[in-house]
Amino acid sequence: MVFTCPVGIGRTTPRDQVSGHNRRKLLRTGALLALGGAAAPLTGCDLFDRDVEPAPPPDPLRPMLDEALGLAAAYRTNATAHPELAERLGPIAETHTAHATELARVIGVALPSAPAADPSATAATEPAGALAALRAREKTAQRSATAACAAAPAERAALLGSIAAARATHQEALK
Amino acid sequence: MRQPTAGEALAAVLSAEYAAIYAYGRIGVRLTGAARESAHQAEAAHRRRRDALVVQLSTTGGTVPPGRAGYALPFPVTDRASALRLAVEVEERTAAHWRAALASTTGPDRDQALAALVEYAVRATRWRKTAGVTPPTVAFPGRPS
Repeated sequence: MVFTCPVGIGRTTPRDQVSGHNRRKLLRTGALLALGGAAAPLTGCDLFDRDVEPAPPPDPLRPMLDEALGLAAAYRTNATAHPELAERLGPIAETHTAHATELARVIGVALPSAPAADPSATAATEPAGALAALRAREKTAQRSATAACAAAPAERAALLGSIAAARATHQEALK
Repeated sequence: MRQPTAGEALAAVLSAEYAAIYAYGRIGVRLTGAARESAHQAEAAHRRRRDALVVQLSTTGGTVPPGRAGYALPFPVTDRASALRLAVEVEERTAAHWRAALASTTGPDRDQALAALVEYAVRATRWRKTAGVTPPTVAFPGRPS
């Protein structure tokens, strides 16, 4: 919640007196908004502080970062459950972590140390089932990277292109 | 450094596609069976992209760089192993040029560049599998190392 229009407290020109009603209305609205905001705590002084910047919107690549961390976690889970696949799955898990690291750098956030909660990161009981499930996830992830690349500004397009391509190569490597 | 225009980036890609076609001529003769067939298919894919680029650059008023009679290969191709190694190299290098074109393009041109990057990266992975290289993938396909 941000007030961008000057409230003008302390001004006593005739024009202000005329608009006094509107000012009261504005102040009353502010009080209501402040009450309504009780669930999301306000930090006391930001209500009339014109220097406060609104919180920046989340970076559009944030879901890509979370997806890369989720993929890395899924590979690690399956590699632990099926040691005979570890040699194939390990390098791909490392690649997803490398993607997450690079995305965090581009977004300008620290790489989350623990992977995001990923309820689907449960290993399949059979190795073949594990490979099929990972291939399906890579296919979905390739689509999201493709969409992100198409929508990205020039300076991010190459990174997202490499991530889309890597996810396609993983499907090939899992065959 | 100034961002190349779409025309400049695609002209650079076209030069890379010429070299890829030349290289596959040298690769194919060192392979047999399924691998040779894969090399022919790969060469045909690079020819299709070359032809499409020539048309695209001509119709948009861009500069169409000429192909050369021969290209210096990064290492001699003398047997199956070196042929497969060069095939991986060719796919990675052409992928790198298409990747570079992503930043210079938007809309359908960028979609086309991404489709090429993905296709060549996947083919590089297939060649690594054929050659028995592990792992068969790289973290950032097309990124200059």
